[in-house]
Amino acid sequence: MANQKSSSGLPFPVILVIGIVMMAGGFYVSKNVHIDFLTKLAEQGISLDPGKTISAIGVLLILFPVIRSFYIGPLGDAISGRTNELERTFTEAESLRSEMTQMRSDYERRLVETESAAREQIQSEIRKAQELRGQLEADARARADEYLHKAQADIENEKNRVINDLRIHVVDLTLGATEKILGENVDSDRNRKLIAEFIDKVEVPG
Amino acid sequence: MGEVLTAGTLLGAAGGEGGAHGASYEGLFVYLGIVVVILFLFLANAKQGLNNRVFKKWTTQWTEQLYLFIENMTVGIIGGHGRKYIPLIMALWMIIFVSNIVSLFFPTAPTADLSFNLALALISIGYVQWEGMKANGVAGHFSHFAGPKLGGGLVLISLMIFVIELISEVMKNVSLSLRLFGNIEGGHQAVVAMNELGAGVYIPIGFFLLPVKLLTCVVQALIFTLLTCVYISLVTHHEEEGHEHSHGELAGAH
Repeated sequence: MANQKSSSGLPFPVILVIGIVMMAGGFYVSKNVHIDFLTKLAEQGISLDPGKTISAIGVLLILFPVIRSFYIGPLGDAISGRTNELERTFTEAESLRSEMTQMRSDYERRLVETESAAREQIQSEIRKAQELRGQLEADARARADEYLHKAQADIENEKNRVINDLRIHVVDLTLGATEKILGENVDSDRNRKLIAEFIDKVEVPG
Repeated sequence: MGEVLTAGTLLGAAGGEGGAHGASYEGLFVYLGIVVVILFLFLANAKQGLNNRVFKKWTTQWTEQLYLFIENMTVGIIGGHGRKYIPLIMALWMIIFVSNIVSLFFPTAPTADLSFNLALALISIGYVQWEGMKANGVAGHFSHFAGPKLGGGLVLISLMIFVIELISEVMKNVSLSLRLFGNIEGGHQAVVAMNELGAGVYIPIGFFLLPVKLLTCVVQALIFTLLTCVYISLVTHHEEEGHEHSHGELAGAH
């Protein structure tokens, strides 16, 4: 407290000395100085002792800085410290809030971007799948056509082969029957050719 | 100090010379000691609660509320620079209030003594003059007492205004001290008179005045500090006005 200055700006030791001197002076005045006017005033019920006033001023001069440094100063510091802390907390909260808002908008933007990218990817995959399906269908159709043509060709060949076999068999049967009827061998290349030409003429188109 | 001091002469110092209700010299300082002890016990208790972020002790909460009240009052009356007067105003408030409270439970109290109240008023007005001189300079402060600057023969009027203002400043001491003394001492006398009325039937009728006296204790502490703020405002507001004026001129120039 010795280094503290009072509200008046004087250092505390100076105020202490002034206060003590005033207390002593007030005591002296109270005991030794008598003023007629104050005596008359006291007779009328209003007691005024300048010595008490001077001493009280001395006491109060010391008391004010003591109360200030003992309690009012620390109380003011505590209140202003708490106010500053609250303001700092509010500022931090405000900063966090704005940061959170920023993060939220970033998150929403990224979500929108992700959704858009996913949608595009899905569309792209669908397009690829559709192209693949078309290609597979075309391949399958081509292969089916190829198989069909091949089968038709096989059938035609088989039919021709069977017809030839049948024709040979019919010629053989005809010649055999003719030999039985005529009792002689008619199996010659010329006869066989004649029968084959005959069969071709009577053949019903396929 | 040839007289023998006893508890009776100290505490029962009522009825000094001329029937006044003030205490003797020694009695006044015994009561002042009681006030200081009560005040510091209270403040020491309240100080223990200052360590917490939230003040949990009721004494700390009360002083915090008082501090905020005084802060509002000083800033409201004096202006933004009024915060620096909070310690003085709050100390004044607490001393006067505790002294007034002592008067509820003891035969007399420091504030029931005109001499003590005059000391409070002299400190208050003396501080106001000191602040006025700091704010306006010694010549500037006293020149305000003379009112607006007048020339020629009207200087006599300025002289008259100066004398009247000087008397007015002295009378501020008288009004501050007499108001406090009258209210506290008057309350005492009223309680004594009503107790005498009920003495025949053994009923302390004066007891029923306690709520009114308690209100008086608060109001008188408030009035004293409020008037001190007003007086400080009167001598320091020119400084702010000048600043505002110059700011206004600068703004206009821009």
